[in-house]
Amino acid sequence: MIDFLIALIENTLYSATVVLLGALGAIINEKSGVVNIGVEGVFILSAFSTVYFTLASGNLAIGILLALAVSGLAGLIHGLISIYLRGDQVIIGVGFNMVAAGLTIVMMVTTWGDYSQTPQIQKLQGLQFTIGGKVFIIPLFSIAAILVGLAEWFILEKTKYGLVLKACGDEPRAAEAMGINVFRTRLLATVLGAVVMGLGGVFLSAEWFGNYTKATTAGRGFIALANEAFSNWNPAMAIAGALLFGFFEALSISLPIQLQSVLGRQFTAETYLFKMMPYVATIIVITMVMKKIRMPRALGKPYIKE
Amino acid sequence: MPEASNYMRIVKVIIEEAVSLLVGFAVAVIILLFSGYEPLSVISILFSEGFRNTEVLMKQSIPVIATGLAFSIPALAGLFNIGGESQLYIGAFTGLVSTYIIYNATGQPVLSSVTGLVSGTLAGGFWGFIIGYLRARRSVNEVVVAIMMNWTTYYLVLYLIVSRFTDPIYSHMSVFVPASSRIPDVLGFIMITGVAVLTYIVLRYSSLGYSIRVAGLNPKAAVYAGFNLEKIFITAMSISGAIAGLGGALFVLSVIYSIDTTMSAIYGLGFLGIGIGLLGRNNPIGVVLAGLFISGLQFGGQWVELRTGAPPYLTDVVIGIIVIALSATYTYELLVSKLRRG
Repeated sequence: MIDFLIALIENTLYSATVVLLGALGAIINEKSGVVNIGVEGVFILSAFSTVYFTLASGNLAIGILLALAVSGLAGLIHGLISIYLRGDQVIIGVGFNMVAAGLTIVMMVTTWGDYSQTPQIQKLQGLQFTIGGKVFIIPLFSIAAILVGLAEWFILEKTKYGLVLKACGDEPRAAEAMGINVFRTRLLATVLGAVVMGLGGVFLSAEWFGNYTKATTAGRGFIALANEAFSNWNPAMAIAGALLFGFFEALSISLPIQLQSVLGRQFTAETYLFKMMPYVATIIVITMVMKKIRMPRALGKPYIKE
Repeated sequence: MPEASNYMRIVKVIIEEAVSLLVGFAVAVIILLFSGYEPLSVISILFSEGFRNTEVLMKQSIPVIATGLAFSIPALAGLFNIGGESQLYIGAFTGLVSTYIIYNATGQPVLSSVTGLVSGTLAGGFWGFIIGYLRARRSVNEVVVAIMMNWTTYYLVLYLIVSRFTDPIYSHMSVFVPASSRIPDVLGFIMITGVAVLTYIVLRYSSLGYSIRVAGLNPKAAVYAGFNLEKIFITAMSISGAIAGLGGALFVLSVIYSIDTTMSAIYGLGFLGIGIGLLGRNNPIGVVLAGLFISGLQFGGQWVELRTGAPPYLTDVVIGIIVIALSATYTYELLVSKLRRG
């Protein structure tokens, strides 16, 4: 039983962390008025870059920093096209996801001659505790993600920069009239947002899997977007949403194992039914809570100076 | 719309598409150079092999024309259908299984394949309806629901295949479409193209098509003018789901005949449909052309790998860059006005 509980909590933390970081990045982006459905693409790029640059430099810290730089660059490109060239923000995101998925595989093949996975890197060791003779790990990035979430909530709700950001997303024309540079604020938000999303990708390879495969991101960027909508663009709520999704994903992994040992039989096809749980739960929860959503009013609309 | 401005609009679209394609290929050339491949030979193989075999081109484009249409119709109404993926899965699975069951029960090949196509269409339509209903009646973001349904359906179909419909001989495959119930792939292509033409006529000449376009252009004005937005959203999503479902059923009945237990043959066709819908500018005829074009590139990509060793995923990068380049239509206006001013 203690094994089951430890595995459940650990897995909850692991899957919640990615979903949280993605949502936090997207919230910064979208509070400023720029839609980013390219979270998955940023995850892919940063998770791959972490491995790639760590192996190239022989140093995990350098790998992580360069992966974050790559994420920021992706955000910069997304911002330049959507803000200055008035590109359709949703379409750019779709394109980004396709490019990221294809490009990382191309690089994997040309670098290591392998279509499916990169070599392993030395992973980060989380905080380890011993409970009842069992080792319990808290990932470092889980702590970081919650701190980033709280800081983001504080900045958005309690600081002048937060007000400026939200003004650009709600009433860009009024913001401009008050002397705010809407273009520059939005561009900064797309870069910052992408770096925060990038942390999610870094976590996937630097602390969770230790390598990059086609299945590393597994649509988690899209789950992060779902969490963003669930949280009503509120970083503090996003922490709760991520833990909720993470719990159901963890349950979908741990429950069949526990049931197998209790019932003394193997599940085969049924494991697929368990895997449906987090997604079905998300639809149910979101249908129940989505009574009053309030997106940034100018979300997705390019700002046109007169 | 007056004819003259219509003509100008078409010219503008052609210029934008051409520039986007050029940008896409330019980036591909740069990536090829960096990764040590010969760009010219790669691109020439891509086109010469990709567009040589008409039959392959037609059959590969069946599902993506369907998911392209499934993206475009709601897009005209201002909705983003990222759920073509699951609508195609459920259509493929339902189509496969009902053809199999009806054939085994009655021995009627035509009846079984018609049942397969109809049930696949209905299943996809129901999947689309769920998204449209939740969006219209519960204001749940359609993107979120569609993404969750994609994963739910992925595992649901895997569960059903592995638990009930595995082929007794090939354990990594589902049951096969009975040989006499199969549809010739050229006929499959003709059917999906027929659907595209029908969609074009409905969107352009019917009151339903008109209301969909008004809802997309200006939802507030549509409401003031007495249009029922909720009904439009639900209808548009149901129709698009039905088309994606039909595409899945057609793909199984006329091309792949069985779904493998990793779903590798149908995974990603819905997402690709988004790019094709965009490239086709949400115009059903444009979607057919874009579907053929992208399918050709993808098929050519496999030949590129055989001949030069360059990974076929390069094609995905090219398609992605083209999609990004297509997003920024304002850039071309900006360029043209700069050029005019000198």
